[in-house]
Amino acid sequence: MIHNKETIPQRPAPKGTIGPVAWLRGNLFNGPINSIFTLLGLYVLYLLVVPTVQWAFIDANWVGDSREDCTRVGACWVFVNARFSQFMYGLYPSEEYWRANIVFAMFAGIIAWMVIPRLPFKRWMTLFALLIFPVIAYVLLHGGYFDLPRVSTHRWGGLMLTLLLASVGMIGALPIGIVLALGRRSNMPIVKTFCVIFIEFWRGVPLITILFMASVMLPLFLPSELNVDRLIRALIGLTLFQSAYMAEVIRGGLQAIPKGQDEAAAALGMTYWKRMGLIVMPQALKMMIPGIVNTFISLFKDTTLVMIIGLFDLLGIVQAALSDSRWLGFSVEGYVFAAFVFWIFCFSMSRYSQYLERKLNTGHKH
Amino acid sequence: MTQAATNTSDTSASDLMVEMHNVNKWYGDFHVLRDIYLEVKRGERIVVCGPSGSGKSTLIRCINHLEEHQKGEIVVGGLPLTQDVKRIEQIRRSVGMVFQHFNLFPHLSVLENCCIAPMWVQKKPRKEAEALAMEYLERVRIAEQATKYPGQLSGGQQQRVAIARSLCMHPDVMLFDEPTSALDPEMIKEVLDVMVELAEEGMTMICVTHEMGFAKTVADRVIFMDQGQIIEENAPEPFFNNPQSERTQLFLSQILGH
Repeated sequence: MIHNKETIPQRPAPKGTIGPVAWLRGNLFNGPINSIFTLLGLYVLYLLVVPTVQWAFIDANWVGDSREDCTRVGACWVFVNARFSQFMYGLYPSEEYWRANIVFAMFAGIIAWMVIPRLPFKRWMTLFALLIFPVIAYVLLHGGYFDLPRVSTHRWGGLMLTLLLASVGMIGALPIGIVLALGRRSNMPIVKTFCVIFIEFWRGVPLITILFMASVMLPLFLPSELNVDRLIRALIGLTLFQSAYMAEVIRGGLQAIPKGQDEAAAALGMTYWKRMGLIVMPQALKMMIPGIVNTFISLFKDTTLVMIIGLFDLLGIVQAALSDSRWLGFSVEGYVFAAFVFWIFCFSMSRYSQYLERKLNTGHKH
Repeated sequence: MTQAATNTSDTSASDLMVEMHNVNKWYGDFHVLRDIYLEVKRGERIVVCGPSGSGKSTLIRCINHLEEHQKGEIVVGGLPLTQDVKRIEQIRRSVGMVFQHFNLFPHLSVLENCCIAPMWVQKKPRKEAEALAMEYLERVRIAEQATKYPGQLSGGQQQRVAIARSLCMHPDVMLFDEPTSALDPEMIKEVLDVMVELAEEGMTMICVTHEMGFAKTVADRVIFMDQGQIIEENAPEPFFNNPQSERTQLFLSQILGH
């Protein structure tokens, strides 16, 4: 028996199942309990948002140069305004800000170039960012070359220092983490043992301890003529600490790749490094994007701990400014500002990682 | 496969493509392969069958050292298989393998799947590798899907790509590890057709498969394995019509009986 000789044509959906009203009915008011929660949620939102907006924007003071310009009813952004350049550059001498600005601009340019898909020469840009840009940034920020006055690293601070610590930490931790993860999965007992001990040591010690040791203990052991810069020591400590975490994230991703992938690559005659570099790692890294970005975000926030060794990152400099007797009592504004800046960076990373995941998705199916 | 033939005529004067002498393998205490003796001539088509767990997959996976044998000798194309990584890679370059679950690289397009080994292992320029890949994709009748990703293809299509990927390396021997077992029934034929064509072109093949129709049409020899041993070995006609051992008879009655 034949039911239909012809294909039934597509018909429009019945009225009331599409459109905004239908969406509201379907998602927010589909039943009494859901409706109550929706109304309750809206009320809580109202309770939170209105006073916040009132405090942060409507009653806030924006312009001025001392605490007398603040009415104290709303937020006193005058404080942030007056200290803004310190928050950005730390104790960097103000007549040399232009040098930091150039580095900032180049940094932003590189990020934009890498993130915007249409722009060409990504590979060259990566090489530039990894090899040439650090040299330029060092020469500009540190000075001592081409008649640029020296600005020693203990004067670096603020957002500049935060970004420096975070980018060096991220760029260093990823490759070291990859090598450690591969080493931990290796069949060679010595390599494996070394990687396990390394990872477990760095993961088992609090970052504060590491930074403290790097700044206080290390000089006791090293010969006095070998005076490694405090910032460099912090960078090394931070990078190694994060690379141990990164290694475990990557190892998790590697374990999720079916053995058949490596076998297929091996059956084609590929060497170990080609199998890893061309077949296993690209797939694993793609799956690990959420984990890697999670580690990056936590690293970005962990940079605040360098406060403990007397480096003034963004949060550190905000705190230092709060203890200034001319600006006592504006800690809320200071912390809100610091939180906002951190949030902007972390949220951007998070969004970009989601975009990357979507973009790299090739209908993954093993 | 004319290219495969020219590729190897200089490397080996011997007529034997694969030799396994007294090969034994254990997984822990479990004796998976017991005194395997197998010689495969150039151009021969071998079908290996047997109940699951009989060691047939392990047997062919030893040939390209995806599994390591502990005792005995394996010689591929005149080269003894040793522990030496360079030697293993050299042998793998001349041995193609098709897996039950295809194992295509999901992050690469169909074309890239086929190009990656010629480009990175044989150091062919991209243009040449792509032309080669298209030629083989054409032969497995899937060239029009070259820009798609494996995840967008059906099982049968994926398996044909996997065959093309192996052929791009101009292998001297092709190993098939249950190539149709993971496929829906209507896709088995398209893969078998490609394998039959390959056999007709003179490719040396060792196939682990339960497709007895395939064994009857193309195999020069059928090997029956049970409990890690080769139990019986014969041309397909006597093998199916007049099996010698009891275990073979039982196995055949079970898979052909319904």
